[in-house]
Amino acid sequence: MLGDWAQLWEIVSTPDNVPIVAMLFLVPFYTWYWWRQAKATDQLIGQLEADPQMAKTHHRKVFPFKTGWDREVHTWPYLMRIEFLAAIIVTVILMVWAITLNAPLEEPANPNLTMNPAKAPWYFLGLQEMLVYFDPWIAGVVMPTLIIVGMMVIPYFDENPLGNGYYTFKQRKFAIWTYLLGFNGLWMLMIVIGTIIRGPGWQWFWPTQTWDHNRLIFEVNRDLHTLFGIHDRLLAGIFGAVVVGIYFVVAGYAAHRLCMATPFTRKIYQRMSLTQTLLLQSMLILMFSLPVKIALRLLFRIKYVLVTPWFNI
Amino acid sequence: MKLRLPYAAAALACVFALAGCGKKEEEATKAPVSQPAATPINPATAGIVSGSVKLDGAAPKAARFKTDADAYCQKLHASAPLVSEEVVTGEDGSLANVIVYVKTGLENRTFETPKDAVVLDQNGCQYKPHVVALMANQSIDITNSDDTTHNIHPTPKNNRDWNKSQGPKAAKITDAFAREEVAIPVKCNVHSWMKSYVAVFKHPYFQVTTTNGSFQLKNLPPGDYTIEAWHEKYGVTEQKVTVGPKETKKIDFVFKAS
Amino acid sequence: MPEVQSDDPILKQSYANAILVSSFLLVLTLAWALYQEMFGLRPWRFYQTRFVAAYSKYLEGQKPKQKAAEEAIVKSPEYKSLMERIEAAQKAAESRAQEIRSELAYVDRRNSALADTFMTERARIAALVYQTEISSSESSRKSRKADVDEARNTPLVLDLPTRDGKTERKTLTFPQLEAEFTGLKDRKATLTGEQARLSNGIRDLQQQAKAYFEDRMVGLTVSQLGSLQTAAKKLDPVIRQINVGSAGLVDRCQSCHVAMDPKVVPANLVLTKADLGMAKSGDAPFSSHPNPELLKIHDPDKFGCSGCHGGNGRATNSVENAHGRYEHWLWPLYYKENVEAGCQSCHAADMVIEQATVLNRGKELYRIKGCIGCHRYEGFDNEGEQLLSARQTIRTLEQQKKDLELNVPRVIAEADHAADNTTAQSLYQKANDMRVTTSNIDARIEQLDHRNASLMREEKKIGPSLKEARMKLRKEWIPYWIEHTHEFRPTTKMPQFRLTKDEVQALAAFVWQNALTGPVPAKQSPGNAEKGKQFVETRGCLACHAMGEGANAVGGTFAANLSRVGEKDNFDYLVRWVRNPRERTRPYDPIARVDLGPEDYSKFNKPFVFDLDHDRSPDGKHLLQVQLPTVMPNLRLTIEESRDIASYLITLRHAGASYPPAEFMDDAKLKDKGRALVKNYGCASCHELSGLEEEGRIGTELTTEGSKPIERLDFALLTEEAKRGEDPDGKKSPRGSWYDQKGFFEAKLKQTNVFDKGRLTAQLKMPQPGMELPDRTALVTFLLGSVDQQLPQEYIYKPGDARHDIQEGWWVVTKYNCMGCHNVRIGQQSVLSGLPQYQGDTKDKLPPQLIGEGARVDPAWLAKFLENPSLSTTDTNRNGVRSYLAVRMPTFSFSDGEVQKIVRFFAALGSQSMPYMPPKLEPLTDAERTMARDLFTHPAAPCLKCHATGVPAHDASASAPNFLLTRERLKPAWSYRWILDPSRIAPGTAMPSGLFRKEGDVWVFNGQLPASFKGYTKDQADLLIRYLFQLTPEEQRMLVGRSPAPGGKPAGQ
Repeated sequence: MLGDWAQLWEIVSTPDNVPIVAMLFLVPFYTWYWWRQAKATDQLIGQLEADPQMAKTHHRKVFPFKTGWDREVHTWPYLMRIEFLAAIIVTVILMVWAITLNAPLEEPANPNLTMNPAKAPWYFLGLQEMLVYFDPWIAGVVMPTLIIVGMMVIPYFDENPLGNGYYTFKQRKFAIWTYLLGFNGLWMLMIVIGTIIRGPGWQWFWPTQTWDHNRLIFEVNRDLHTLFGIHDRLLAGIFGAVVVGIYFVVAGYAAHRLCMATPFTRKIYQRMSLTQTLLLQSMLILMFSLPVKIALRLLFRIKYVLVTPWFNI
Repeated sequence: MKLRLPYAAAALACVFALAGCGKKEEEATKAPVSQPAATPINPATAGIVSGSVKLDGAAPKAARFKTDADAYCQKLHASAPLVSEEVVTGEDGSLANVIVYVKTGLENRTFETPKDAVVLDQNGCQYKPHVVALMANQSIDITNSDDTTHNIHPTPKNNRDWNKSQGPKAAKITDAFAREEVAIPVKCNVHSWMKSYVAVFKHPYFQVTTTNGSFQLKNLPPGDYTIEAWHEKYGVTEQKVTVGPKETKKIDFVFKAS
Repeated sequence: MPEVQSDDPILKQSYANAILVSSFLLVLTLAWALYQEMFGLRPWRFYQTRFVAAYSKYLEGQKPKQKAAEEAIVKSPEYKSLMERIEAAQKAAESRAQEIRSELAYVDRRNSALADTFMTERARIAALVYQTEISSSESSRKSRKADVDEARNTPLVLDLPTRDGKTERKTLTFPQLEAEFTGLKDRKATLTGEQARLSNGIRDLQQQAKAYFEDRMVGLTVSQLGSLQTAAKKLDPVIRQINVGSAGLVDRCQSCHVAMDPKVVPANLVLTKADLGMAKSGDAPFSSHPNPELLKIHDPDKFGCSGCHGGNGRATNSVENAHGRYEHWLWPLYYKENVEAGCQSCHAADMVIEQATVLNRGKELYRIKGCIGCHRYEGFDNEGEQLLSARQTIRTLEQQKKDLELNVPRVIAEADHAADNTTAQSLYQKANDMRVTTSNIDARIEQLDHRNASLMREEKKIGPSLKEARMKLRKEWIPYWIEHTHEFRPTTKMPQFRLTKDEVQALAAFVWQNALTGPVPAKQSPGNAEKGKQFVETRGCLACHAMGEGANAVGGTFAANLSRVGEKDNFDYLVRWVRNPRERTRPYDPIARVDLGPEDYSKFNKPFVFDLDHDRSPDGKHLLQVQLPTVMPNLRLTIEESRDIASYLITLRHAGASYPPAEFMDDAKLKDKGRALVKNYGCASCHELSGLEEEGRIGTELTTEGSKPIERLDFALLTEEAKRGEDPDGKKSPRGSWYDQKGFFEAKLKQTNVFDKGRLTAQLKMPQPGMELPDRTALVTFLLGSVDQQLPQEYIYKPGDARHDIQEGWWVVTKYNCMGCHNVRIGQQSVLSGLPQYQGDTKDKLPPQLIGEGARVDPAWLAKFLENPSLSTTDTNRNGVRSYLAVRMPTFSFSDGEVQKIVRFFAALGSQSMPYMPPKLEPLTDAERTMARDLFTHPAAPCLKCHATGVPAHDASASAPNFLLTRERLKPAWSYRWILDPSRIAPGTAMPSGLFRKEGDVWVFNGQLPASFKGYTKDQADLLIRYLFQLTPEEQRMLVGRSPAPGGKPAGQ
């Protein structure tokens, strides 16, 4: 039963969730804002490349730029005043926030009675959501570790020297797309799902749908091999391993094609050492695995692809 | 957690909820019970209600009492045995021991209580008179002219009940009844047959009929009244009358002998 | 700086407006924050200011009235005289006081004049002495010594004042000075002492005056009012909190409910909203606690507020939070109608709590409505459980005994071959101890057996035994009853089950086929219904049963309303039932779990006889259940009387009442379905059913239902409605959201299957109890109070001996509805006393009041009486004590345990100590005996006219018990109080007051005295009592002979 706006209001007005609601608007906004700036810079870059003379005289890397404008402007007052304004506005927002929203305290914890839905703090909701798609060992340990490691090694395999200190798209297409997919597309999305969509029993409730504790849904999750009528555990394991292997090959190839997409990327690819490439590839493969798994789970109700006595994928 | 605004609203709601279950019983104003002065009655306009009480049908034969529980009484009534005074009739069935009184119509008036006391005498192992009527807080003197011990035990519904023993020719017991009540049975636990009725009124408009069965309620301010007649056996009957200035209304009560 | 292009946005664009606006906003938010800090989060500030205004106004208003009252007292002659006496005393003392004052003044002057010098000198000398003492060498010590002496002997010149105001110059050495000084000190002491002595008398008088004033002054004096006013004016808005560390209570309720703070409104002043002129206001939490009595026994400094009332004592930022009425506070404030739930949380052990009428009602309902049948509740009706545990203990004990007996010979053998004597002795000792232990175990087992017997008697069922259904009931009626329970008898305890036609038929068929078929009760000839009616109305049946339907129902609600009995019952059975309701068709064997019949007895060729004296199984091994599990007692009626009553009852029926034939009742196919249903609906927890005697309770335990997490209460499909505050019937709920325990209980009790709403198949089987709103509220209150307590253990009320006895006894007294006939507690009215036939002068035909019974009767006698109220083995068809009463004290065949409980109960109520030791009465001298006789038979003394004497002719008209019972039955102290003023003990009693009057410090007979009393100075009431307590039958016969009350055959002459 959709249209329960009281329910939606209860969710978004919960102090925990307010930041996420804000995020819903802020992230797209800043993405767009960044995008506009990047476009401008790229245009500028275009001009400068076209007109070497100008490149000599010009310093301001920021659009808009017209001939005859100052090459540089002073921090004081031109930067400070903006920062000052920002400071005031942020202070106002924080104060209003502090006054209107109380700390979300609840009754004393009761070990005999878990709350339902039991939700992690908002910044972990992504991980919690991941538990739906992978088995705890992968989602809770392997994935987070790899994410952290992956972030740490970015500087190591990011060979592209351009784009430092200015916004640009065309000089960093690859990095940016990866970011948009990995962070905005996956991480943010999962947090939002975990906050607004997941109701009692971690079931899927569309916005404005009542969080009915008595709700019952019939939904059988199968392992991939059962679809193919394989029930022997060994065979199933092998089958799963094969499928996963295939995925790795395909995904790896896809990642490779990405690196080879444009002359520019190709140039970067040339520069990279083998380890760098492999690292990059494996990270990308793992990252892609998440949306794939989500799709399998949500669209085809497939639980695991590879089932072994020790771990499942 | 809700925003503060809904909070405030909820708080208000809660306050009203409290109002809902508010302290009603405490709102009862504790007015001091003060006796306002008697409302004067203009004798020029005052009217009279009079009439008679009859018993329709033959009076039942009065029951004879077995008085052997007390030698004294038995001696007293050796020749003429004591009989019940429940139904006492005069000639042509006029009924005695009936209390005729104003039941409604005087609610917003108050009257002084007479100073002189009503006497209820225990004489010959009998209460004399058998039926007594008096005003609230008017004192009643209970005397014992017998040579035996009686005990006076009023058993009221709305009044304080007491039970005192009174030795032979002992000093009179004086008491009073605070609340209106028709009629309080008075009995003697020692002599089970001894019985009397005391009627208490807030106003002076009452009368106990004698064997001639007639009554007369004098000095009634003009107005609408319900007059009621009470008899210990036949219960009550009532009639409505409207008394105009200086008017004399006649009404008769008839009890069915059953 | 090169010239700046005008159109460079970074340089040209002005942020002035933006900054202005945002700074303005900043200021605004700042203001807002401050407001929140001062008031928004502290609403109590407003309350306190409002209160102060109203309160001062109220105090001001009180002044004139109180002033008048004060003056009245001050003007009263007693007070005046007191004042005069005080003045007189003061005058008398004045002259001497004057002298003392002047003398003291002189002493002080002189003292101050020399004190300074004295001090200095003393200090100097002390220092020198010290030096001397520490000086090491002999020589130096000498020289120092010299210094000291010198200092002591140097003359000092002083100017000292004299009495006549001049000064005299004196030269004194230190010792003299010291003497002078001490002299002055002593003088001063003596003088002040004398001064005090002088004022003593006056002070006493003043205290008397003060006491006199305070005793007569009602409410506060004007000065007190004034001080309160000033206090109120000074009262600044602060958080007022009670902090009880031990219980973890921090209650700031008084921050808004200011009047609850005794520092603001004194405890003896009860303040209502009306007093403050806010009667109508919904937002005036200013009345002081309506019941100061409660606060006296529950000191707020120990119990806080939330301890009893619930709510979030710490919260101060909004009414909602403070009252804890939001989802996350688990102990919300109890609503007004349920406020007594707070008592239950600590007083769970009490069956009845003073001043908690609603809660008491709730507890009562829980039992009499039979909730206890399906829902276990700690401490309620646990005979069954006790029985089981007792049997268990017996088994273990027997095991122990066996082991010991095995060990004894081993130990002895060991001892025989012991190495040395000491070990041998100790081993023999050990063997002996073991033997003794076994005998102790026997003793305990024997006790437990006894307890078992008691428990088996005590175990009662809420509903009638259905084993008897076939003998008792009309076949067609049973299904009708199951289907239309409340139609047939609206007041019945039996709830209305929701059943389909088939289910009803199955149930009925099972009951019918499962019931005993014989031996059938004897055929009875019809009796006289008229007389029967008489009996029913006079023998006291109406104390429990009611007659007549709806508005004109008369009688008690404890047992069934009898107005349609004729439609259902079988005459022969009814006669048996009336004669002895506990009589079973067959005894039940709890071990073999069968109902024994003649065949079982004949196996052991025993007659088929079973009753309380023959309650062992035919093989003699164990106890049988020989009584029906009903509380209905035996009225000791003759068979004729029983027939009369039965014939009357059988006439009670609706004209032309008829029931459709029910041949399905004998359909064997239905039986199993029926049994399944019976188990499912837990019929066996209220009714005795063959084969289902051991069925357990089917409902949830409710001992701590009140603190069950809301998530565990299944609102099912109504959850959202409840949260939104929508009634099950779609209307707006007056209380808003009812998604809480209260809401759940209320909805459930109103309609037990409410939470099946919207479900395809019904899942709730709790039947519909016929209950009105007040009763439901009572039950809800009880349930809300049933929590696992947060407060520390020492807060939980554990009744001590006396209180415990009362609680224990209360179970029994309510179980058998003693209050149907007797007034047991002050303020409680028996059912009978409310009936029309006992109004007016027939009051003294009522059963005796039992208030103070414990003080009245000898417990041993009471126990005997309860066993057999006829006090006779032969002539049982009468009352033992009050043979003249038509209403009959029945035989309840209490278990020994119950008798003990009742006896102790009354002892505790009358604050009597157990066991009772009759006091030694001073024996009568012959003179006294004659006096007593004279007085007793004196025409002025009516004793023997009312009290039964054993002479039939006289007893016919008697209206009081026979004096012969006195010695065994009564307690002297009580009897003494009784004859002095009976109405103080039993208001409305037939026994007159004023028999004795006080003369000096003894009571003398009120009326002319027999000659023999000449010169008798002792207490005459006491004389009479002593006489009564040694009265013998012979003595009495002799008296009756003498007494002028004839009917007694003259024996004396």
